[in-house]
Amino acid sequence: MRMQLAHKMKIDEAKKYVAEKLNVTIEELCDVVTMTDVREELGIGLGHVEPCAEANIGMESKFRIAELLGIEINSVERFKERAGIK
Amino acid sequence: MSKEMLFEAAAESIIESDEDKAFEVLAQAEEQGVDLVELLGQGYSAGMRELGDRFGRGEIFLPELIFATEVMKAVTEKIEAKMESVDTPKKGVMVIGTVAGDVHDIGKGIVASLVKTNGIEVHDLGREVPAEVFVEKAIEYNADFVGSSALLTTTMTEQKKIEELLVKAGIRDKVMTLVGGAPVTKRWAEKIGADAYCEDASEAVQVILSWLEN
Amino acid sequence: MQEKKYFTRMGDGSIVHMTEAEIREDMKAGMEDAVSRGKISPLTDEEFEHLYEIITMPGVIVGVEPGKQVVTTSDSGSDKINTKCGIPTDRAINAMLHERILGCDSVDIGYSDYNFKTVKGVAKREASVLKHALNRTTMPLFYGAMPNLGFYTKPDGPVDNWAVLLPEGKIKEAMAAQEEAVELAVKDILYVAEQMHDVGADGINLDTSGAAGDADFLVSLKATEQIKERFPDLHVEIGMAGEFVLGMHGKLKYDDVRLAGLYPHKQVKLAEKAGASIFGPVVNTNCNKSFPWNLARVCTFIKACTEVTEIPIHANAGMGVCGVPMCENLPTDAVSRVAKALIEICKIDGL
Repeated sequence: MRMQLAHKMKIDEAKKYVAEKLNVTIEELCDVVTMTDVREELGIGLGHVEPCAEANIGMESKFRIAELLGIEINSVERFKERAGIK
Repeated sequence: MSKEMLFEAAAESIIESDEDKAFEVLAQAEEQGVDLVELLGQGYSAGMRELGDRFGRGEIFLPELIFATEVMKAVTEKIEAKMESVDTPKKGVMVIGTVAGDVHDIGKGIVASLVKTNGIEVHDLGREVPAEVFVEKAIEYNADFVGSSALLTTTMTEQKKIEELLVKAGIRDKVMTLVGGAPVTKRWAEKIGADAYCEDASEAVQVILSWLEN
Repeated sequence: MQEKKYFTRMGDGSIVHMTEAEIREDMKAGMEDAVSRGKISPLTDEEFEHLYEIITMPGVIVGVEPGKQVVTTSDSGSDKINTKCGIPTDRAINAMLHERILGCDSVDIGYSDYNFKTVKGVAKREASVLKHALNRTTMPLFYGAMPNLGFYTKPDGPVDNWAVLLPEGKIKEAMAAQEEAVELAVKDILYVAEQMHDVGADGINLDTSGAAGDADFLVSLKATEQIKERFPDLHVEIGMAGEFVLGMHGKLKYDDVRLAGLYPHKQVKLAEKAGASIFGPVVNTNCNKSFPWNLARVCTFIKACTEVTEIPIHANAGMGVCGVPMCENLPTDAVSRVAKALIEICKIDGL
């Protein structure tokens, strides 16, 4: 979704790009079990979040997603400005 | 020119919004003693119906349709004036509006335009029209058709109210009701007791014309 | 023995049982209708057969092969939990529900009076709702509303009402009123976009574009162009209102192309030109026709659109569009078949 927005990538190209960045196959990228592990390890957002893993949601994970995918995320940039870290 | 060719030329004059041509065809028809009511119905009106179809397909646009309507109006008036004592076919009266609480009147405006182009006397009540006003105006104009449009799931219930108030006013049997609008369906029309659900403006015209024929 | 009949539906959602011959006949008619209206190619024999298979496939819910899933955007999504389901939650929570419970890939924050003209007055407050949601969700969030040009007409707006002027034959006045409304609407959208950009919106969703005709579509195109000029990192999704652009004005152009009468495969090229990241085509569901008729027609139109586009296509597959029946509570048999057909036959990029 983010690659469609940022670079207007069509679905197959976007999946390929993200799969390569996350080092998974396209089948794995679409698989909830594999991606739960990947998301947990990389801290890039989960549906079910245990209290101890609260950093794995919201703004924190968007910082990591932007870095992993090599894109700028508007909310992350604005957050940095507001927090005085940009 | 044969009668069929005259009808075709009359239809073309409307499709091309060509008033001069429309009057030329009329003059020639008179000269040949062609029945003018027939010329109106099978010639000019056929052109109008063709334009309605093209509009429904996105091939022509509302301003073009209105231009054609003006030509149609001019030629109809002229024929009516010539007919004098002869009865022109009665086309009927319609009141139409967008229901209370709903400001979406674009589709309703298109239906009003298209129905009007087919020779029906249309009284457009505008938008956000209370159900009571639909009934009041139907009585005032002695309407044959009551059309209501609702674009929201929250306002379509007003169409049911119109049906109920028409019954209460004792005129439900005197009018045919048409409902339309994005969330409205045939099922909804049947549920509330409306006489017809119309998918779009062209269908509204077809429904009315078929009622008139019967 | 009685010929086998398949469970399917009408466009209004009511159940109907049809034989193979009836389904095929309706599919053919639906496809031919799209070909003739859009002046586009029909489905290939192989696609037609695959579509027949999808329509008659056993099971309530059908799906795509693993790995073929696509992503989702929505319109007025975050507000529907309140307005449609009557659950009094705030919209930041609704966004989280979409992400973590409904499994959506994005959602838009939208006001219950879903149009930019209304939102303008509360834009900063709306931006504040969006900001909270952005802090707490991971997926992209849009701010969505409709250009809804009709709201600029009297008595709700400053411009003469062309829906009144046109039936009166006042064509020039009606055209001028629409041109005036375009400028006002673009200005309002730009103002709202600025507030949303300031709090970090991922995108602006210009939903139901073209609802008031060609001028309405022009608003979306011009607004997109200007949003991209001023805020390059604010992405735009243009979602359409209907399958062709209604010619209420008739002469308006964008990039030298007349807007009135354009079907999805032509609309998308202009959305692309204006700078949109995602285009959401619509094909109207005809309530009086069967699901096979509607879906074959939809696939013909949407395939023509995805074939020419360079930007992602998220087909509108909600109530009353793209073959989904026109009813409040949607049947999953129809919705899942629509999704499968759109993905496998039309090669869409999202829903």
